[in-house]
Amino acid sequence: MNKQMEQIDQLTREAVKEVFETMLSMEVNPEPPSPLMPDPAGDIIGSVGFVGEATGIIYLYAGMGFARIIAGRMLGIPEAEVDSGEMVTDAIGELSNMVVGYVKSRLCNSGLPCILTIPSVIRGQQLSVEGSAQVTRRAIGFRNCTHHLLAEVLLKESTTTKL
Amino acid sequence: MSIKILTIDDSRTIRLIVTKFFKPFDCMVLEAENGIIGLAVASREKPDIILLDYTMPVMDGFEVLARLRADPDLKATPVIMLTAEAGRDTVIRIAQLGVRDYLVKPFKGEVLVERVGRVVSLRAQNAVAKKNKRFDDPINILVVDDKPAIVGQVIAGLADTAWKVTSVEQYNQAVELCVGTQVDLVLAGLSLPNDGAIMLYQHLRSHTNTASIPMLGMCVRTATAEAARAQQTGFAGVVHKPIDAADLKAKVCRTLSLETSYKYFEQRDGALAIKLPKDFNPTVVQEVSSYLQGQLVSAADAGGDKLIIDLTPVEAVSLPVVELMLSAIQAAGKLSLRCAITASEAIQKQCLNYEETQAWLFAGTFEQAVALLK
Repeated sequence: MNKQMEQIDQLTREAVKEVFETMLSMEVNPEPPSPLMPDPAGDIIGSVGFVGEATGIIYLYAGMGFARIIAGRMLGIPEAEVDSGEMVTDAIGELSNMVVGYVKSRLCNSGLPCILTIPSVIRGQQLSVEGSAQVTRRAIGFRNCTHHLLAEVLLKESTTTKL
Repeated sequence: MSIKILTIDDSRTIRLIVTKFFKPFDCMVLEAENGIIGLAVASREKPDIILLDYTMPVMDGFEVLARLRADPDLKATPVIMLTAEAGRDTVIRIAQLGVRDYLVKPFKGEVLVERVGRVVSLRAQNAVAKKNKRFDDPINILVVDDKPAIVGQVIAGLADTAWKVTSVEQYNQAVELCVGTQVDLVLAGLSLPNDGAIMLYQHLRSHTNTASIPMLGMCVRTATAEAARAQQTGFAGVVHKPIDAADLKAKVCRTLSLETSYKYFEQRDGALAIKLPKDFNPTVVQEVSSYLQGQLVSAADAGGDKLIIDLTPVEAVSLPVVELMLSAIQAAGKLSLRCAITASEAIQKQCLNYEETQAWLFAGTFEQAVALLK
């Protein structure tokens, strides 16, 4: 366990909580990470990377059911009015951007300048991300009532060993 | 007139959120999904304020802002930058770009509205729907200037209106009046001592009961820096000294969204009549053009099939007169309204000097024009 990963772990917890509370008026609480229950409607992953003195990527995983709720809350519209396509994809992309933007800003302020990559969103069934051998991984679980969200941080090894 | 807000953001979610937040206000929210489209929309629509995302593909917010500042028509448009990156360096860089404000994502809707409200005058939709004042309604204008000659020019220029003009010399007297009495608009000299006009603007905006009072600045034509600063601060416009009455009236009308269509349009004997005034000027063109389409559609909706343009008050035919009439006739044609023009023989002859007028139908009186179209 290194200091760098601890810092990003803590920042990710704060960021997810802050973004959900501010943009969705929704409370999420950390929980031990576990694989998401398969959602019959599929899964969605939003991701944004950061490159510089700290290099890595943060993935946010959710089932499509929870993703639709998130999109509806963000846009202030009933869940029934959320189309399953572009609206959800864009909302999850923006949510990821805000979460990782929060982390990135604080990394920069602590002397680790880096820039963000553009957000990307992947949709499919039972998705998982594999990292290469040179990355350190950390998963953080979040819960809102019966809904679960998983954040996974992948940090480039060279960054972590430098500290 | 609605406030035009342009949101330039690659995220449709953010654009929809911005639109939702400003729905309760008399605003038109324009959207652009990247910087290139944003610049084109800004150039075409001349928004009152731009909400600009910092991190975007195609062209980032930094470059968009630089291009806005290089465009003489857009350089004074206030910009609020939205960014997901709140790092110290980013914030310093944004501040150096000359933006009015910046907001870090995530943000609360009320915070965004409050920040925008500091720059432009937001009015609730229901307040607008309640009543749009007319040009001939009484309006209270407060002039804040320490030069009696300028105050005199304003009073003389507005003497033929129903508007009440009150004047004070100092910033603190103006604050007192705005708080204690009904003031519809403040006209303040930008050369007041101690930056009085800007101070007054900021004071009014920081108090709920005076926050919606619009302000116009006054300065000499060559004081471009003063004028730009006032507009960047959030003044609704700048009137040049010496005061030109027509220009002042036009700017007051525009700022307060005063209804002026009755001056030019009327329904008469089943026809829509447009009466062009004797003192034809750019303000007339702007006002008539802004109402034209709506008036024509209403006339056609109500079963009308005629448009009569009354040129009898006009003393001379100029290119702007012909252009305005051409656009009216073309717009009427699209709605299947037939058109005739009433004018003196001298004016008819002047019109016929223009190639585009050869097919126009002229008559001496309104009744003759109607008969011509039967």
